[in-house]
Amino acid sequence: MNWRRIRYLIQKEFRQIFREKLNLVVIFGMPFIQLVVLGFAITLDVKSIPFVVVDADHSSMSREIVRSFTSTEFFAYKGTVYSAEEAIYYMDNSRAKMSLIIPSDFGQTLALQKAPEIQVLLDGVDGNSAGIASAYAGQVVASLPAKLYPETSMPTKQVMLVPRMLYNPLLESKLNIIPGIISMLLTMITLFLTAVNLVKEKEAGTLEQIMVTPIKPLELMIGKILPFGVLGFVLLNIGILTSGLIFGIWLKGNLFLLYGISILYMFTTLGLGLLFSTIATSQLQAMLMSLFFSIFSILLSGFFIPISNMPEIIQNFTYLIPLRYFMEIVRAIYLKSAGFLDLLPAILALVIYGSVALWLASKRFWKRIS
Amino acid sequence: MKMLWAIFKKELIHIIKDPSTLFIILIWPVIMLLFFGYAITLEMRSVNLLINDRSHSRYSRDLISHISAGKFFKIKTADVSEADINTLFKQGKVSAIIIIPVDLEESLQTRAKTKVSLILDASDPNAAANITNYLGMIVNSFNRENSKLSPPFKLNIRYLYNPALKSSYFFVPGLTAIIMLLISALLTSISIVKEKEQNTMDQILVSPIPSYALILGKVIPYALVAFLGGVLVIFVAIFWFQVPMRGSLFFIQLMMLLYIFTGCSLGMLISTIAKTQQLATMATLMITVLPTTLLSGFMFPLESMPVLFRWVAQLVPATHYIQIIRGAMLKGNSFVQLADHVFALLLLTFVLLFISIIRLKKEFEHS
Repeated sequence: MNWRRIRYLIQKEFRQIFREKLNLVVIFGMPFIQLVVLGFAITLDVKSIPFVVVDADHSSMSREIVRSFTSTEFFAYKGTVYSAEEAIYYMDNSRAKMSLIIPSDFGQTLALQKAPEIQVLLDGVDGNSAGIASAYAGQVVASLPAKLYPETSMPTKQVMLVPRMLYNPLLESKLNIIPGIISMLLTMITLFLTAVNLVKEKEAGTLEQIMVTPIKPLELMIGKILPFGVLGFVLLNIGILTSGLIFGIWLKGNLFLLYGISILYMFTTLGLGLLFSTIATSQLQAMLMSLFFSIFSILLSGFFIPISNMPEIIQNFTYLIPLRYFMEIVRAIYLKSAGFLDLLPAILALVIYGSVALWLASKRFWKRIS
Repeated sequence: MKMLWAIFKKELIHIIKDPSTLFIILIWPVIMLLFFGYAITLEMRSVNLLINDRSHSRYSRDLISHISAGKFFKIKTADVSEADINTLFKQGKVSAIIIIPVDLEESLQTRAKTKVSLILDASDPNAAANITNYLGMIVNSFNRENSKLSPPFKLNIRYLYNPALKSSYFFVPGLTAIIMLLISALLTSISIVKEKEQNTMDQILVSPIPSYALILGKVIPYALVAFLGGVLVIFVAIFWFQVPMRGSLFFIQLMMLLYIFTGCSLGMLISTIAKTQQLATMATLMITVLPTTLLSGFMFPLESMPVLFRWVAQLVPATHYIQIIRGAMLKGNSFVQLADHVFALLLLTFVLLFISIIRLKKEFEHS
């Protein structure tokens, strides 16, 4: 092992990266933009659902019901139409996602002391939003009796839930999304850079030139991994600073724990990147493989689809995804100030994946260059 | 025309000669489909809920049996102290904890309202809100049964277009937006940048091929591959996932072609900016794939976004394309009903095409 040779190699890599201005923009600028855009834009909250009203009853009671719907931030009132057909026409054109229909026999039924019907039509295309919208509608309707007849409808013997939201009392999506984006970006960038690097040298024929020098395989491997590890680390810090300065989300837990685990995690992504670059025959292939792997990881990591929502088989499959553990760790350190012991199972998983990835990569790498 | 054909053939040979790449490209749609068709449901189920029943009464057992009906929760019962709560959440073992107070039975009989505390891990705020909503409904029905109070209104909810709220209806048509864009933009940009990187572009440029033939010859083969991928997805959607096809298939395919044009224009534009394949791929990912997945309404409803981003989303071609394909497939919308989106997509495509052709021409003349 000759550190001087490794140093030269690392110097060369950095020079190649910094030579191209656009590289810097892509590696550092884009993640910054992504973080800002996604942090502000992604939200799974469902609110301002556009809706139209058909009030066939025209009574003070029906107007009161409509008012209860318009006064919440869940729904955005788009107008009153005269028939259910017209309401459906609005929904066909996606100008409304919900119709609130108060039928003409509403007042009559009420006068007969029976429970009249309030109809709600929902655009079911986005099943998730529709489900949430129906829950909101249910809440509004459940709150009606207390508003309309405050004296008679106060039921006794009521259980009341008192929710307490830990770690994110205002239920802001960004608190969950931003640590997720940081872990996602770290995965994608380090994987991509390593995967393409070696193939590029192969394609350009410069790998042979390096191999005829007295450099040893291990030295070459370290020289090919370390620069991207360093870049990944810088990227992590950019992520931490951006989320702190722009979104005011600072780490609640221990920074050095996060550093340590991130470095541990990068063994996996860098090792995999190296592995891909030994398998791929062209840059395009190396990139498609990394792309494939990243998108798969992102979808199965619980980034925006909670793992508990997935079918059992796929839930078991997520244990094979290193990002799953890393995402869990970053979020737990960020929001819950989790410590080393809390995270031990996930950390152990990362140790295993890191060693396997590095071992596989070095095996292929040795075979490839000798 | 003959020259166009020659370039076209050359690219096609490139595609066919590299079957492993083609395989990776075409297996993409299949895996994404299986994934979005089966794995991704945003509806929650088997949420880990811990109930600490300190009352051990008839009422608490009744409440628990109300909660455990259905697949929403995976329930564990245990005694927890305030100190345990943080550890449980930090280790991610449970998502919510309900503590039923010791005096539940007594309080229900004497007081109008009895508090039951619900503690949530709100680090996933969406999940926390859903859990609260769901438990709220359960508690409402528990209260009604307990107080024998009939509800004064009936709420009748009907879901149009997708009565069973299947997430495959939502995701699978939209998936064509991602797959076709990825294939058309990425492959177009790479095929041009590769020639630049290997300096073979100069060789083509000194030959008497007119630049339009060069561009078209390079773009059309990849447009075809993208179209193939898109059609594959639509067929699987209809025949496997039984997504209804209420509109005109011809209109949809026409729109797919238009959208692929958008993708190819984007690819050409990227190829004029990026000098290496690596940069081209990263730029394609950042400029096309991420906005398409996140800012187009593919997953996240546009209405919930801040106003500024709703405007930005209008500049993402996929926003309009997804509206068109969902409208046509699920709602049976005709061209007239979707005209706004069709024109927006046309406009975006022309602008992109215009800019990229000007830039490409300039580049060809320089070299």
